[in-house]
Amino acid sequence: MTPRFRRLWQALGLLLVLLAVELGMSFLPLNRGARPLVLIPAVAMVGIVGATFMEVRRGPGIVRLFAGAALLWLTILLGLGSLDPMTRTDYDVRDLSAK
Amino acid sequence: MPIHRLISCSAMSETYPTHELQYSSARHQAESAISGMWLFLATEVLFFGALLLTWIYARHWNQAGFDAGAQQTNLAIGTVNTVILLASSFVYSAGVAFMEAGNSRRLVQCCATAWALGMAFLILKFGIEWRDDFAKHLFPGSDFAIQGPLNGGARIFFEFYFLGTALHGLHMIGGLMLVGWIIWRARRGDFSSAFYTPVTVVGLYWSFVDIVWIVLYPLIYLVGRGP
Amino acid sequence: MSATTIDGPGVAGSYLTDGFTIRSWLLTTDHKRIAPLYLGTITLFFFVGVAAAALIRYDLLVPEGMIESAETYNRLFTMHGVVMVWFFLIPAVPVTLGNFVVPLMLGARDLAFPKLNLASWYLFVVAGIVVLYALFAGGVDTGWTFYTPLASSYSQGHVVATVVGIFLAGFSSIATGLNFIVSIHRLRAPGMTWYRMPVFLWSLYATSVIMVLATPVLAMTLLLLSFERIFHIGVFDPALGGDPLLFQHLFWFYSHPAVYVMILPGFGVISEIIPAFSRKELFGYKFVVWCSIAIAVISFLVWGHHMFVAGTSLYSALVFSILSYMVAVPSAIKVFNWIGTMHKGFIRFDAPMLYALGFIGLFTVGGLTGLFVAALAADVHLTQTYFVVAHFHYVMVGGMVSAFFAGLHYWWTKITGRMYPEMWGRAGALIIFIGFNLTFFPQFILGYLGMPRRYHSYPPEFEVLNVLSSAGATILAVGYLLPLAYLTWSLFYGERASANPWGATGLEWRTPSPPLTDNFDETPVVTEPPYAYPPPDLVQRHV
Repeated sequence: MTPRFRRLWQALGLLLVLLAVELGMSFLPLNRGARPLVLIPAVAMVGIVGATFMEVRRGPGIVRLFAGAALLWLTILLGLGSLDPMTRTDYDVRDLSAK
Repeated sequence: MPIHRLISCSAMSETYPTHELQYSSARHQAESAISGMWLFLATEVLFFGALLLTWIYARHWNQAGFDAGAQQTNLAIGTVNTVILLASSFVYSAGVAFMEAGNSRRLVQCCATAWALGMAFLILKFGIEWRDDFAKHLFPGSDFAIQGPLNGGARIFFEFYFLGTALHGLHMIGGLMLVGWIIWRARRGDFSSAFYTPVTVVGLYWSFVDIVWIVLYPLIYLVGRGP
Repeated sequence: MSATTIDGPGVAGSYLTDGFTIRSWLLTTDHKRIAPLYLGTITLFFFVGVAAAALIRYDLLVPEGMIESAETYNRLFTMHGVVMVWFFLIPAVPVTLGNFVVPLMLGARDLAFPKLNLASWYLFVVAGIVVLYALFAGGVDTGWTFYTPLASSYSQGHVVATVVGIFLAGFSSIATGLNFIVSIHRLRAPGMTWYRMPVFLWSLYATSVIMVLATPVLAMTLLLLSFERIFHIGVFDPALGGDPLLFQHLFWFYSHPAVYVMILPGFGVISEIIPAFSRKELFGYKFVVWCSIAIAVISFLVWGHHMFVAGTSLYSALVFSILSYMVAVPSAIKVFNWIGTMHKGFIRFDAPMLYALGFIGLFTVGGLTGLFVAALAADVHLTQTYFVVAHFHYVMVGGMVSAFFAGLHYWWTKITGRMYPEMWGRAGALIIFIGFNLTFFPQFILGYLGMPRRYHSYPPEFEVLNVLSSAGATILAVGYLLPLAYLTWSLFYGERASANPWGATGLEWRTPSPPLTDNFDETPVVTEPPYAYPPPDLVQRHV
């Protein structure tokens, strides 16, 4: 088998393993705030698809620039965007269903 | 300032398809097309990213209800669908690798398999899972199944679920059309080891649609679930 | 500056004579034909926006409002905002001057994706038709910012139709930006390294980065708004568990960088014109270049300054305020660089330069007043008043529209092969400068005194300043109609232009006016830095 195909099979295997890990993690008794940690394997899976199936390391240099920019800007959107709700003081409002 | 004629040194431009006038060679054009697709995918990351921010806000303000909704999702179908898409992306990439070696026949087989897997995803998701969800009154309409204090959060969860999977599904339908187009062109003999840029470009899009699902899957099926 | 008839159209043929049928224009993939198609379209939208503005200023002539209905007034300022932002300011320079000049400046035969370029125009036209339909069917009263819950739950206007139009225009924008980025990376002529590119290209690159990364967020935001309105999904409705501020965060994540989409091309135009009309190289080229990139990046970090009184956490407001001060720095650096370019230069006061000088002054005022509103404590009093309205009109109209006219006059000969009448050009620039200041300077005072924006009536003590402002608007309108008249006139009767009537540097000036369809017979090779004007002392000796 050529190196390329071997890498593709390895990637598929790794992806399925990560899926299993992710699934397993979701059954752990994590508290509500920690639940999003389940996304960590998913992020790794995204990296593997990008690196192997999409061959981000091959091709002209700007491909990596664009992929990197997308991730950086996504981080800005989600990070700086979450700053407000995470730090807002939530004043308790009386039961809304009583309207 | 002297003006010189630009001489192309790339072998590809002589044997293979002509390139547009603004490019210096077929390879120059091919790499630019691939770069263009990556840039387009960057825009898609931000498009779905805004939906992710909505998930973050919605879950932050309604944690109990949101997770209660998530527990009603069909984990079995969701997981099987994830495996299907991973396999589909794998098979298409294998097809690209075959095409790089000049094997157009294998490319067609791989694309057809990827297409079939994609179709299976759509049938499972919209034909079976959504139908089940409607039957269980999980569509956030007037007869929504989860009432009481968790109603608000659960409703928003299912709105995110239906909107997210619908948008992803639309992208998949577009992807299926593109993969079908590649199959058609390959069978016509349009591609060779010297020229298969459309195959690569469609493959990038197809793998990206897989990536969107890889992120949606835990957000829908896993985060809110738990003992 | 006199122009001789060396190679006008009809002598050697040009892109204008390469096909006379409507089909050859509507199905063209030539960037030089797509640019005038866009120019016609955005001119139409500009005057729709101007008409709305005229009615706004008419209403504000008297304290009780000349227009009886507040609802009508609301629809007017909404349409003014929507049309001017998405159908004029955001596209203007990139799709007209950018589309025409970028491949020429790069030394390329066309953009990277010519068919995508044509598709972007059609998307834009369809988007415009949808928005015009919404306008004539009765309009929207939410303001161009579509804040929830008004836009999502209570507004009676055609929100969804308008939003669909904007959604489509957004994709036109993304297509243009994508095309420019790939073209600038991949199609530079041999020898044109990044640091040999004119600043106009760097500016459009920075603009395109913002277009490509911010607009998709707007697309999703508008989609969510439509779903909220049609299906009451509740993501923005607190009664249903949603957060109205989520809309504002998502909207401004796009709309703040969008204002830099509007101004960055203007910076690029000015950076071409000042060296050309000072016959001196751009001062601090690398500073100008990296400031453009810095603006593009930092612009994404400041959106919360539109939401200081909306109910966000004080902590996040603080962070956004500090970042907003940072984003002003690169713009200020550019202003110093332009002034440094003019210092000891040999300055000519042709129309493009007059517009450019106006730009520097007006943009600086607008930019500095932005810092007033970026300060948390001051913004509590100034927000939602005419101070903010004056601030953004100084940068957008005083700045960007001046820059657009500057570029239009500068490259007019290249695009059309004709020279505009210079004296009328200078008159137009002066009338616009005077009319603009008379219209908008009183608004700073009005805002400071507390007059709120988006109200069709106001307390009687504000009448004098409002009348002054409306008077200025009349003068400004004359200033805008003048170029429409004489530029159109020049198409038929203008003096035929030579390849380089301004004596400027840049590859676009090495082509005939107007250029051939294929731009260059042979691919040019670049061996010099940009702005290679003769040293000032050499020029002085020839005076």
